[in-house]
Amino acid sequence: MSGGTRLENANPVIFQRSGQRLHTATEEDEDVHDPIDDREIFDILSINDPEHPLSLEELNVVEQIRVKVNDEESTVGVEFTPTIPHCSMATLIGLSIKVKLLRSLPERFKIDVHITPGSHASEEAVNKQLADKERVAAALENSSLLEVVNQCLSTRTI
Amino acid sequence: MLSLVEEYVSGLQDSKAKDTAKGVKDGEFTVLQLVEALGLSLTSSQPHTRARGVQLLSEVLQECYGGLTEREVEVLIAFYENRLKDHYVITPPVLQGLRALTKCTALPPGSAVSMLRSLFQDVHVQVRLAFVKQNCVFLCDSFTELKGLGADFVFGFVQSMDGERDPRNLLLAFQIAKSIVHRGYDLGKFTEELFEVTSCYFPIDFSPPPNDPHGITREELILTLRDVLAGTPQFAEFLLPLIIEKLDSDVQSAKLDSLQTLTACVSQYEHKDLAEFLEGLWASLRREVFQTSSEKIESAGLAALTALTSCLSRSVLNSDSEDSLCIFLDLVLKDCKHHLCEPDLKLVWPSAKLLQAACSASNRAIIVFIYHFNIMSAEWNTMNKPDKPFPLPCSDPMDQDNNREASEQQSHHALRQRCLSALAAVSIQPSVVQESTPVLLEVLSSAHTVSLICFSQNIVRAFFMRFVWFPFWVFHVSRLAEKTASRAVSLFLDGDVSFLPDNSFPSDIQLLKQKGDSWSQSQMVCLLMGCVCSLPRSVEVPQMDQLLLQLEELSCTCSHPPSYTSAAKCFAGLVNKRAPGQFVCTLLLVFRVYSVLDSESSSVRTQAFTLMIWVRVMLFSRGSLYDCQNLFSLLDDADLGPMAADGFSLLMSDSSDVLNRSCHADVRIMYRQRFFSENSAKLVQGFNAAPQEKKPNYLKALSNIVNKLPKQVQVTELPALLSLLLEALSCPDQGVQLSTLSCLEPVLIDPPAALIQQLEALVNRLLALTSSRAMNVRIVSLRCIHAVSRFPVLPFRARVLRALARPLDDKKRLVRDEAVQARSEWFLLGSPGGS
Repeated sequence: MSGGTRLENANPVIFQRSGQRLHTATEEDEDVHDPIDDREIFDILSINDPEHPLSLEELNVVEQIRVKVNDEESTVGVEFTPTIPHCSMATLIGLSIKVKLLRSLPERFKIDVHITPGSHASEEAVNKQLADKERVAAALENSSLLEVVNQCLSTRTI
Repeated sequence: MLSLVEEYVSGLQDSKAKDTAKGVKDGEFTVLQLVEALGLSLTSSQPHTRARGVQLLSEVLQECYGGLTEREVEVLIAFYENRLKDHYVITPPVLQGLRALTKCTALPPGSAVSMLRSLFQDVHVQVRLAFVKQNCVFLCDSFTELKGLGADFVFGFVQSMDGERDPRNLLLAFQIAKSIVHRGYDLGKFTEELFEVTSCYFPIDFSPPPNDPHGITREELILTLRDVLAGTPQFAEFLLPLIIEKLDSDVQSAKLDSLQTLTACVSQYEHKDLAEFLEGLWASLRREVFQTSSEKIESAGLAALTALTSCLSRSVLNSDSEDSLCIFLDLVLKDCKHHLCEPDLKLVWPSAKLLQAACSASNRAIIVFIYHFNIMSAEWNTMNKPDKPFPLPCSDPMDQDNNREASEQQSHHALRQRCLSALAAVSIQPSVVQESTPVLLEVLSSAHTVSLICFSQNIVRAFFMRFVWFPFWVFHVSRLAEKTASRAVSLFLDGDVSFLPDNSFPSDIQLLKQKGDSWSQSQMVCLLMGCVCSLPRSVEVPQMDQLLLQLEELSCTCSHPPSYTSAAKCFAGLVNKRAPGQFVCTLLLVFRVYSVLDSESSSVRTQAFTLMIWVRVMLFSRGSLYDCQNLFSLLDDADLGPMAADGFSLLMSDSSDVLNRSCHADVRIMYRQRFFSENSAKLVQGFNAAPQEKKPNYLKALSNIVNKLPKQVQVTELPALLSLLLEALSCPDQGVQLSTLSCLEPVLIDPPAALIQQLEALVNRLLALTSSRAMNVRIVSLRCIHAVSRFPVLPFRARVLRALARPLDDKKRLVRDEAVQARSEWFLLGSPGGS
């Protein structure tokens, strides 16, 4: 993103980060299978916001309650809420989420990323783009777009 | 009949009612006929006449309700309900009649509901309450359909109770509310209302007037109200903030009431009801105990804390939930720790009491507490306060333990072990030792199993090791120590039991010999070890030569591993403190041991090896040469190879129970780097020359040695051993893999040039390890792959990304976490916007 353009949402509301997940005894037991659960997916989604030096969790764009995963059926659904209804970053954020999940989940998973209903002006269009595999792949061929996505996904310590 | 009616109604002759009733009973006329006869009076324009009419009917019903048919009852109820809408003068007899009807067995279904509904609708509050008062027991017990009324009934009740001030009525109202709550009525959306209408009286502030004829006491009211408020978890979200608020008040009785109510209510609650209020409750409880001026309040507060903790301990966890018990105890410990460690001591005792209350709640609480306690005691010890008594909450659970059933042995055994270790750790100050001694001695005397014995020897050691801390003790201690030493030696060598208090020992006790297969006596040698090896050097151990001989004999011949190991350690510990000139016997011993080791057919090779290793450890600690040729040669040995590899670990590490500074042993600084540099070449040589099946021993020895080196040394020495380490990564032994990975990991932060040249081999090996069967190996290898991503590894990117797809679906979450991080990092390699 070129510096110098004005930020869309200059004063976002910041939410508190949830603490680190506590380890339980079964997680240390070698013989027990830990199914993939919502919290795990939510922890994967520690993605930076494209505009602010904050994470999507801190901006409440992603919330654990809007993450639904079913390990047995290999499906995962993530709803994200752009901070303002005309946010032009919505597609980018959605794309980052989708890419992060593609990189972090086994291939068997079917990934569905969409905007929380009622929270964005052009949610239908964005959802459609995110659901289309070819469009996503094509977007990632675009090196400047890939650059922005990678910056969002890089593990910058804030 | 008509005349009777007339006389009653107009003539106001009450006695006629009885006659009428008798008439009905005798069958002269039915009740319905009576109603017809009353028709005139019931429709009179004078309310009083109507009242009389109804009253006659009611009184008859009171006598005759048993004989009514269902049809009659139905009609009568309808009539009476209708009459409720009439003039208020009529209401009392109507209620009287209804009351009589409620006793009928032939009540049609739904009558209770309709009765109550009209009651609540049409009847004035005070009157209603009086009616309910007379019938409450019946209402609550027999009207099963009341539950069907559900929320309506609750609402009606709430309305009728609102604003009540008469203590008699209040008592009654509380009792009804308690019935409602306890019988699990569906409170529906009126939960909060019911709570509010009862809780506005909390805390009760009532002084009965003098000469009160009804004898209602304040305690009665308090207790009944408490039963209501604490009766159901549905009130939790309202009750807990109320309690926190009332605890703030200045009135002592209010505080006391709140605390007692809290204790009562948490016995019904689950952890989820309490979760959001834990901090507030803890803050209030803490304040009450810290700032209390009254003992009553303090003890009520502590009781509340215990109840709270046991409620949280009862909660059943699923794997995702956060453990509220841990969270709460963390809160408690954090605050109390802070006060215990402060230089200003005034809050120590209250903190200790709080801790004691919390951890006496349940076994789970004790376990959590002890984990923290060990850390805490270490910090506490640095402060050196000899004159302050330290509270020992641990001793309480151990006393309780003696009352447990045998079925709980397993878990309570583990619990005792933990209590004991905590106690041993704390037994540093003499005043503490004074208090902990009786408990520990009791444990020792009741100890039966081997593990408990060996555990106990740690405690014995703890006693003797710590006496050095106070100079003024030394004089007394050395006398004490000498006495102890001579007694112990005479006990073990000569079987002299005369000084022991209990006289039930067998007369020919021989603790340093193994009797056949039984090891119950020979295992006592670990107690001897704890005792004599920890003595100050100024104390002379009598009959040293003979003792050493016996110990050597025991350690070479006994078949019980803990016994011969303890004997070996004891031997080494004793020899260590001797002057060098007295080493002659040791050398003889060494020859003997080696001859046993050399003969492969001997049955006691393991024992001989153990003795040798400990002697070697002892020699190292005194700074003798670091020559290990024979140990290296043993790496090739068929039986002893793995043990030899582990022996290196022993050589390189500090032993905790013998041969260290706190045991007053003669210890020089171990130049591990020197050891390493003198012997690494031999190790590599040996490895290269060894046959394939012996190579793992060398690798294990190598990783044991390298692991114990200081970090800087590891980094500088590693390049020489790199190829060996890479070899170690493909060794099938998981222990070797894990230790190699753990010493590789820090090196990867700042890799030597040699490593860069071997990147492909490294990456291949690491990838292979990500599918190991051991979880830890998978985790560490993934972390190493993550770390490797910072090197020039771009050519491997595609392959690694493919290979890392598999661990993403690993069955363990911890492994998956590492895989996600590693793979994300590798994706960013060489990609625009990435690293």
